[in-house]
Amino acid sequence: MPKATTSTPVIQLTNLTKRYGFGETAHKALDDVTLTIEKGEFIAVMGPSGCGKTTLLNVIGLLDRANEGDYHLDGKSVASLSGKQHARIRSNQIGIVFQSFNLIHRLNVLENVALPLTYSGIPHTKRLERASEILKTFHLQEREYYMPWQLSGGQMQRVAIARALVNRPSIILADEPTGNLDSRSSHVIMEELSQLHKQGNTIIMVTHNPNLTSYASRVINMLDGKIASDTSDAPDPTIPKKPVKVPLNHHSTKRSKEKPAKTPRKKTKKAAK
Amino acid sequence: MIQLLTDHVQNAYHSLKSNRGRTLLTVLGIAIGIASVTCTLAISDGVRNMVDTQVSAFQGRLAVVRPGFKSHDPNQLVNPVTQQSFSTSTLTDADTSALAKLPNVEAAVPLMTIEGTIHAQHATGPNSVVLATTPDFAKVSNITMLSGKFLDDTADNNTAVIGVQLAISLFETDHPIGEAFTLRGQQFTVVGVLRQDSAPINFNNVDLNNAVVVSFEQGKNFNQGRSQIQQIDLLTKKASDLESVTKQAKTKLLAKHLGEEDFSITSGKAITQPTSQLFQAMTGVMTAIATISLVVGGIGIMNIMLVGVAERTREIGIRKAVGASQRAIVAQFLIEALIMSGFGGLIGYGFGYLSAFIVSVFLYFTPAFSWGTAGIALIMMVAVGLFFGLYPALKAARKDTIESLRQYH
Repeated sequence: MPKATTSTPVIQLTNLTKRYGFGETAHKALDDVTLTIEKGEFIAVMGPSGCGKTTLLNVIGLLDRANEGDYHLDGKSVASLSGKQHARIRSNQIGIVFQSFNLIHRLNVLENVALPLTYSGIPHTKRLERASEILKTFHLQEREYYMPWQLSGGQMQRVAIARALVNRPSIILADEPTGNLDSRSSHVIMEELSQLHKQGNTIIMVTHNPNLTSYASRVINMLDGKIASDTSDAPDPTIPKKPVKVPLNHHSTKRSKEKPAKTPRKKTKKAAK
Repeated sequence: MIQLLTDHVQNAYHSLKSNRGRTLLTVLGIAIGIASVTCTLAISDGVRNMVDTQVSAFQGRLAVVRPGFKSHDPNQLVNPVTQQSFSTSTLTDADTSALAKLPNVEAAVPLMTIEGTIHAQHATGPNSVVLATTPDFAKVSNITMLSGKFLDDTADNNTAVIGVQLAISLFETDHPIGEAFTLRGQQFTVVGVLRQDSAPINFNNVDLNNAVVVSFEQGKNFNQGRSQIQQIDLLTKKASDLESVTKQAKTKLLAKHLGEEDFSITSGKAITQPTSQLFQAMTGVMTAIATISLVVGGIGIMNIMLVGVAERTREIGIRKAVGASQRAIVAQFLIEALIMSGFGGLIGYGFGYLSAFIVSVFLYFTPAFSWGTAGIALIMMVAVGLFFGLYPALKAARKDTIESLRQYH
């Protein structure tokens, strides 16, 4: 896949290290990670449990701070920004989708989706209008006044994605968005994400499921806090690395037959075969 | 900003509503605290009002000259005159007549009290207060003659005016004109019955309804022919003269007393100062005690807010993840605390006045509304909300986002 080298990268991580614990018990969740992410990429981050995928995502999403190294967002070092500015970036530029959905149970679907708009100072009615609009694109309009616990897992995740998108962020971070879902719902979610990718958003997704990497434009493998492999480093992008070689499961195969030539994953799939 | 504020208020309203039971109990704690403070202040306002109306009966025209060295202790809580009842008065008849001759003085009335047992034909009044004074006394006191007349210049030393209560207890009638009684071996004829219209704090706490009033001369006779003036009431012609008259009186008396200031002249609200100071000190103590319950209520708020913060750790994490700043989280929880304390304060304010009026059924004055009390209640409710809400709010805002999101329940 060709890399857009002309513009400044959206995310630039240099020698990023994140430690937990002290002294001999210290454990490096991120160990000297250097990574450049261009605008419009769909990145799948893979790796075993505890390899630092989620920490990486948290640091990128400004939920956590690295101990060492630089993180430049849109060419600006985030270390120099105040907590308030971090909050503003989380509000306007970054949308986060969690594995466990993280909806607020006291609020109904509409209010949950409208929540991020609260912190960008948009009037109440307008917030609900925009939330309703975005729910419509996720085919959840008739569920607007449901409470989160009245929804299925797939629906909840779609609500969570709608919430992540309501502020029209340019970067979407997804931490195992399908981890708690069955394969059918997973597929729906992935379709939504790849749709967003096509609209020009930058998506970084952490996943355990190798099948899902077929949606991504770039796959990063992590091991023990380090980047073990990165498809963009491969000499020939048409020969991706290991994870993509895993055959797709039954569901996804069927799906991909139903909707052919929709996403770039088809290319990788062919390559895999 | 205002937008965010209304959001916080709505949000707080919803979260308080979803925990209705414990919100109500917390609000009750604050309400009791504010109620006890309000009740105390309302009652003390009532007392102050009562004292003020007594002073204003002679709106700005009355000055009181009292014997003895002026006390400079602002915390003096007792009536200075009673302290000196054993000693000889430093005020003399000459002082009275000198004061009466001052320009713009309508009347200078000496007051002298004697105690004695009154014997009537069928009853006795033990330890009755006998007030010896001049006929001008009627001008400086708010008394009404029910029957007969007050003592005048032509009155015989053997005549007396008695209070209506005493008349009833001695003669079983409120028209005992011409009846006789004996006091200190001397016989007196009743020439008038008086009724006092309001309690006379400025007359040495004499209950005129239960007193005998005799002429000043007769009073001296009871006192080995010497006067023992406890107080001289000075009534000016106009209210605007009071200040100059007070000054002149002081100069005059100083000259007469050879430069020794062994007397004090008070006027206006200062007459009741010893009394008001006593009440103010009592109010201070009672308010301090009442404030303790307010502090307990505040701790209740803090407690319940901490529980709320702990319960909603995850919500805080989510809010931060979607873009809430620390300040927004602080504001959210602080407003919640303020709503509780404000609501409790309003209920408490109303409840405080209600209980003050209920209590006043057993007292001889009614509680009064004042802006001061309302202001104190308002300041206290806001202060309690801010003070006890701040720590939980800061705790909420400082929570680590990642840790918060990891919490399940």
